Amino acid sequence: MALTGVLALGLAACGGDDSEGGGGDSSGPIRIGSSLPLTGEFSQPGQAAKQGYEVWQEMVNDAGGLLGREVELVVKDDASNQNTVVTDYNALISQDKVDLLLGTFSSLLNLPASAVAEKNQMLYVEPAGGSPDMFNRGFKYLFFTQQATSNLQGKVFAEWVAALPEDQRPKTAAYPTLDDPFAAPNVAGIQEILEAAGVETVYQETYAIDTKNFDTIVNAMKNADPDLVVHGAQFEDGIGLTRSMLKADFTPGMFYETNAPSFGAQYSDGIGMENTEGVIYAVSHSPEADTPGNAEFVAKYKEMFGTDEVPEDAADGYAAAQVMQAAVEAVGNIDDQEAMASWLRENEVDTILGSLSWDETGAPTGEFLIGQWQNGKPEIVLPADVSTADIEPGWHPGAGG
Amino acid sequence: MTELLQNLLLGLLLGGVYALAASGLTLIFGVMRVINIAHGAFLILASFITYWLWDAFGIDPLLAIVITTPIVFALGWVTYKVVVSPIRTAPMASTVLLTFGLALVVEGAMGEIWGNNSTAVRPSYADESFIFGGLFLPKAQVYGGLIAVVVLVLLWGVLTKTWLGRAIRAAATNPSSAELVGIKVSAVAALVFALGIAAAGAGGAITGVLYPFVPGSHYQWIARLLAIVVLGGLGSLNGAVLGALIFGIAETLTAAYVSPSWATAVPYAIVFLVLLIRPQGLLGTRLREDAVAA
Repeated sequence: MALTGVLALGLAACGGDDSEGGGGDSSGPIRIGSSLPLTGEFSQPGQAAKQGYEVWQEMVNDAGGLLGREVELVVKDDASNQNTVVTDYNALISQDKVDLLLGTFSSLLNLPASAVAEKNQMLYVEPAGGSPDMFNRGFKYLFFTQQATSNLQGKVFAEWVAALPEDQRPKTAAYPTLDDPFAAPNVAGIQEILEAAGVETVYQETYAIDTKNFDTIVNAMKNADPDLVVHGAQFEDGIGLTRSMLKADFTPGMFYETNAPSFGAQYSDGIGMENTEGVIYAVSHSPEADTPGNAEFVAKYKEMFGTDEVPEDAADGYAAAQVMQAAVEAVGNIDDQEAMASWLRENEVDTILGSLSWDETGAPTGEFLIGQWQNGKPEIVLPADVSTADIEPGWHPGAGG
Repeated sequence: MTELLQNLLLGLLLGGVYALAASGLTLIFGVMRVINIAHGAFLILASFITYWLWDAFGIDPLLAIVITTPIVFALGWVTYKVVVSPIRTAPMASTVLLTFGLALVVEGAMGEIWGNNSTAVRPSYADESFIFGGLFLPKAQVYGGLIAVVVLVLLWGVLTKTWLGRAIRAAATNPSSAELVGIKVSAVAALVFALGIAAAGAGGAITGVLYPFVPGSHYQWIARLLAIVVLGGLGSLNGAVLGALIFGIAETLTAAYVSPSWATAVPYAIVFLVLLIRPQGLLGTRLREDAVAA
């Protein structure tokens, strides 16, 4: 049986009627706990994810609450630290006694945090933790609410490259990658498809998470002279490596980078708007997408935070909360979290990222969008049926904006 | 051969900036036996001040050093008077804890003022290089390296050629005797702390142009800076410079010839090996057991 978001919304509409029959024995607010990297190295996406949760909280409360009860967020700061995130989730469960959990940001932090939720048999919906390693542990309560795990994130792009006419297809490629449970499988997934298509690997190296200086890596790549660079990055290293490429006057014909290019103005400020033209990346959300509730989310975000730019990570946070909401409303109470997990495994949920569904492990079964910077703004270029512009081969630093 | 020369040059340029950033840390330890864990936080603070001057007033970020450094010097002086001075004679572990707390406070303040978003300072020359003979030398790194040399020479001149420098060295060597000959050791300590922070400020202005940063970036910097000053010998300015150059070159050559994934680990392995052979570091001296803290 596949329930859609229409049903989920329908359940939301009658949620108030269900509150007497479930929702624990409290008539007060439903407390939803999360720990996020609000400071430290991942503070950038962590802050955005918190904004996404807050937009959801306000919209749900404006619509009458969850199961007819007000929703209250309890958000702690894990400072981008794996030990702190474990302490935080233990405290949320045992001291703050939250009713529900939402995940933290990045595979690095969600790996230990999801284990705490699993031990306590609580549903754990995470907005950003797509490493395949998340889903090989036999967990029952874990769900990732983007479209695909990281090893499949670049699949649509790689298949597009592989299908290019031979005279347009890159012959060689370089794969510099952050040593991170998200970035490394992401690049490996692309590399596998491209190698099968005959694109020769001429550079492949992993660098440590605290790498500041990329000049040496870029110098080695420049000597290898690839047609395509596929960079597995978070954010700062994405900016750092791109700037080093510009300094070394190393501008390969095609440039794909994970994560960083989806940060909008922060990315264009970081590398210079004029250098963005043609950069390709995978992205989970488009503010222009015609998905259910997306326009309302975008409008509310702009109203609450006074900016026209809606970060992808805020949308991911909002979508995670939507998924949790759908599971709660389908089950009709907040006590039977095993039933919520079972329901999610068997159903689809319509979110602002599109329709999401999961396999037995909690891994999503969809496909990512592919974005490209064109004329100073990000466009969705693949898959073709949801694209806002045609994909253009080639990176043209100095020509953008 | 060209590739080796390229990597050596990149390593030296990197080491030059490390040297400037680390010099203040070793200076503060040398004079007052305070291991300033907040040093990286002041470095990032200087990067944010540089960003503010560049973004709001259009001041060239490297020329802004003449504004940034005095601001950070003043902050260092106030920090010493308010926070560090009361526990200066406490056991070293207390100063480590105190300055770690101070780093967290500075990080939080930067987050409040500038936000926790990644910030980049990109003047027009930021992504350009001098290119000759198949080699590229990033302009910002060359300018930053030259500024680092100038500031370090000035610092070295102050410490070795002026009355203030003699007073600082006297206060470091034997504070009680220094007091006897009319040196106000507490005033010298405040000045040294402020000078040390100012050196971090100059380093922060340069690193802000070279690398993007967030308030939490200071953890990565303090780890490197501590390793550099321990390698060179705690308290030795020349040692900090030598340690920084070795660190920069080791990092670069490891990335080029071993693997980038080892680039941040191998320099620490070198520190470990050097300390096994020479526990006081390359140019350090054993601490004077008879020195009495003022």
